[in-house]
Amino acid sequence: MTHFLTRRTFGGLALGLAASRVPAFAAEPSLVDAAKQEGRLVWYTTLVVGQIVRPIIQAFETRYPGIKIDFVPAPWQETSLRIINEGRANQVKGDLVDGGASFPPLQAAGLIQPYLVQSAASYPQAYRDPTGLWTANIIQPSTPSVNLDQVKKADIPQSYEDLLHPRWKGRMAWPDSPSVSGPPGFIGTILTAMGQDRGMEYLEKLAGQRIASVPSNQRVVLDQNIQGQYPLVLMIYNYHAAISMAEGAPIDWLRLSPTMVSFGQMSLLKNAPHPNAAKLFLEFSLSEEGQSVYAAAGYLPAHPHVPSKAKGLKPDDGQYKDFVLSALAYSEHDKAWQAIYKKLFV
Amino acid sequence: MTSDFADLPVADTTEAPPLHGRAADLFRRAWLGVLIAGIIATLVLPPAWTLLRTSLGTMQSDMSLSGVTLQNYADLLASPRLGTTALNSIVFATCATLVSLLFGGILAWLVERTDVPLKGLAYVTTIISLGTPYILYVTAWLYLLGRAGPFNDLYRSLIDPDATPFNVNSLAGMVMIEGFLWSPLVFLLLSSSFRAANAEMEEAARMAGATVAQTMMRISLKLAWPAILALALFVFIRNLESFEVPALVGMPGRVDVLTTEIYRSIKEMPPRLGYASAFSVVLLLIVSVLLFFYGRISRHAERYASITGKGYRPRPFLLGKARWPAACFILFNFLVVLLLPMLALLWVALQPFVRPMRWAALNFLTTKQFAAVLTSPHYLQLGVNTLIVAVTTASAVMLLTMFAGWLAARRQIGGVISDQLVTIPLVFPGLVLGVALLELALRLPFPIYGTLWLIVLAFLIRYMPYGMRYSFSGILQIHPELEQAAGVAGAGRGTTLRKVVFPLLWPAMASGWLFIFLLCAKEMSLPLLLAGPNSQTISVAMFDLWSNGQGGEVAALGLIWAALMTAVAATFHVVMRRQSATTFGH
Repeated sequence: MTHFLTRRTFGGLALGLAASRVPAFAAEPSLVDAAKQEGRLVWYTTLVVGQIVRPIIQAFETRYPGIKIDFVPAPWQETSLRIINEGRANQVKGDLVDGGASFPPLQAAGLIQPYLVQSAASYPQAYRDPTGLWTANIIQPSTPSVNLDQVKKADIPQSYEDLLHPRWKGRMAWPDSPSVSGPPGFIGTILTAMGQDRGMEYLEKLAGQRIASVPSNQRVVLDQNIQGQYPLVLMIYNYHAAISMAEGAPIDWLRLSPTMVSFGQMSLLKNAPHPNAAKLFLEFSLSEEGQSVYAAAGYLPAHPHVPSKAKGLKPDDGQYKDFVLSALAYSEHDKAWQAIYKKLFV
Repeated sequence: MTSDFADLPVADTTEAPPLHGRAADLFRRAWLGVLIAGIIATLVLPPAWTLLRTSLGTMQSDMSLSGVTLQNYADLLASPRLGTTALNSIVFATCATLVSLLFGGILAWLVERTDVPLKGLAYVTTIISLGTPYILYVTAWLYLLGRAGPFNDLYRSLIDPDATPFNVNSLAGMVMIEGFLWSPLVFLLLSSSFRAANAEMEEAARMAGATVAQTMMRISLKLAWPAILALALFVFIRNLESFEVPALVGMPGRVDVLTTEIYRSIKEMPPRLGYASAFSVVLLLIVSVLLFFYGRISRHAERYASITGKGYRPRPFLLGKARWPAACFILFNFLVVLLLPMLALLWVALQPFVRPMRWAALNFLTTKQFAAVLTSPHYLQLGVNTLIVAVTTASAVMLLTMFAGWLAARRQIGGVISDQLVTIPLVFPGLVLGVALLELALRLPFPIYGTLWLIVLAFLIRYMPYGMRYSFSGILQIHPELEQAAGVAGAGRGTTLRKVVFPLLWPAMASGWLFIFLLCAKEMSLPLLLAGPNSQTISVAMFDLWSNGQGGEVAALGLIWAALMTAVAATFHVVMRRQSATTFGH
């Protein structure tokens, strides 16, 4: 603890911590010693480097000098392919992995090492695996967004039914992402909320609206909404909208009931070359202290005690009804929901 | 007389040489071909095997490949609306090829063979547009011609407030963007051909009363015909298998081509690499057939050679009154290929978030994105890494394809096989090549995994086909009589290549080097899969920013990077021009 107090005077993070009174993270001394022996770890990440990867590494390295974090940023597919090839060749180089869709193939290939972090008990059940195969680090509510320059207040959709109004025909877009945070996730949300029959009836009507599938990520689709390319877009992340709204973008994100919430998660890799350093970083990242670094970067921390930087983005303080869909739960329905997407919307 | 100087009778041919002499002769003729074909085969065949194996397997949920099945090929045949998508593909690939050829070709001819003004501008346009990362370039056009873009905006404010005359998400939009993307390749390739062209025939045509257009059609084009045909074939294949523009531009407008489904299949979880590989294998067969026919056309290539043993000094062709219309063409090219997309990027980089071009938005102009890039200490190492990779790859590719191109163009032992092998990587999907190299590097006894050298190796394989186009068409231009003369004068093959062929080949090699250097400096997909913690490149950083919505910062980084690459390329260009001046005297 004294160790921490001497360190916390360094860097902006410490100031932020002091201001928000986040409890400091304290790890088992034996783990810290073992981690220092290893001296480094390799993190395969799907997160944004400048926005979160470097800040959290900086926070960690300030806290635990002598343990260096090397990272390899890549999209989930490349990350999974890399880890799987390393695993098959018995040459595991990475210690930690994060992401959503990257997880199911890794678990199926038996490349994940269970490790239950200290803070796991604080997390809602939906955001952690009971055996410690994974724990959520960020949550990602997928919502619509409207362009307020183009859409009158009275016309803003209040429910999923409102998306069927003729005024939206040919004027909506969503990211063509074959994942939980793309159209298949939307389809899953509708089918779960409305039931199979009524849900399919709704989706068939929605298909008639000719939604443009933009082959890009959520953020690019939101940018097209801000530009006015599409007045209404679906399946973007509400925290992206909040960041642009704070900079003056003429948009607002919508709370339709229920709002699908997916999440990113972190896991320890089996046969990790630096298991103790990796465990220490995992503990740190998922502690209230580490999670507050995520919050400061504009992400929505999964830890229930850490609020988001902008208020009202998480389901509990935003007072919207959520439907939590994990990457693993999604992967069980992946084929069926994708088939519906291809049949109706492509 | 045969075109093959190695077949020239040796000094004493009155008696058949003794057996060991014949073996020595065979070895003398074959060793280079065997060596070069061997190197290329070593590079190409392992990933080609992975491609074939992947196309016959099914990817399981744990991303392992299992079974031997033709299902992927059956899926190709059963893909939805096969007729329409195949037709769209052919129209798209053909038209985009024509756009590239017309734009790049006319430009190259004007710049190299005439006295048109503004020549420098054509080079600047080409180099900067090649140095600009691909996704930025496409994004810029999507922005410009989008529903809320400045063109539609302008039309609405001036003519009809409810109209949207420009629809970028259409076949025409795809053709235009893809055409512009590859016109710099055509320009660089043909400009080296035209630079070394013999002006005598063009001058003779003009003397005989032919107009500029007639001369161009009947002389200049005909002389460059084998090079142009090879290039057209190359660009056509590249367009046929490209899935980025069809996806980014066509998909939102529901214009599907054959590769649209491929794009979707590799984005799925797990990625259906087998399906994408099956498509590549089919494409590879088509390419082989096309190359076979091409081989028959280029068999008598020496007819087209313009660098001959005769007194040779190309002179620019005087355009006369056509000078200024020709300059307008260069200006137009500058406008559409460079200025408009760059302005769009600059606008995006100077705004806190992407918004329409309006006067009111000027109040929000900010330099914070540029500041973020310039003050970040991390980009420097990435930039250095990228330069190491790009310089090494471009040099290695050009060195290897210089020999391969000569073997192929002169129909030497190992030439045909080298040409076939070197073309294979053209159809590799990036992800499949990446996986093949991952597997390979993890099993190799030396520690290449996670280093810059693995990326160099991947780029070498990926860009060999491009280098080959430059060196092959460069060699075709050099009449074999020069080599024969050297042979008669007693020079061995090594001396002939070193003292005659390679110096004359400089313009083509320099253009090829530049092209590959610029492609390597911006290529994204392979480094994403292959870079380790200490071998990150600038394009990984760009992709990271782009895919996570820092559109402004990535535009700023892209612009700064393009400026830097332009400076590097311009320096190189000046040095190379001097080099070529000492050889060609102009």
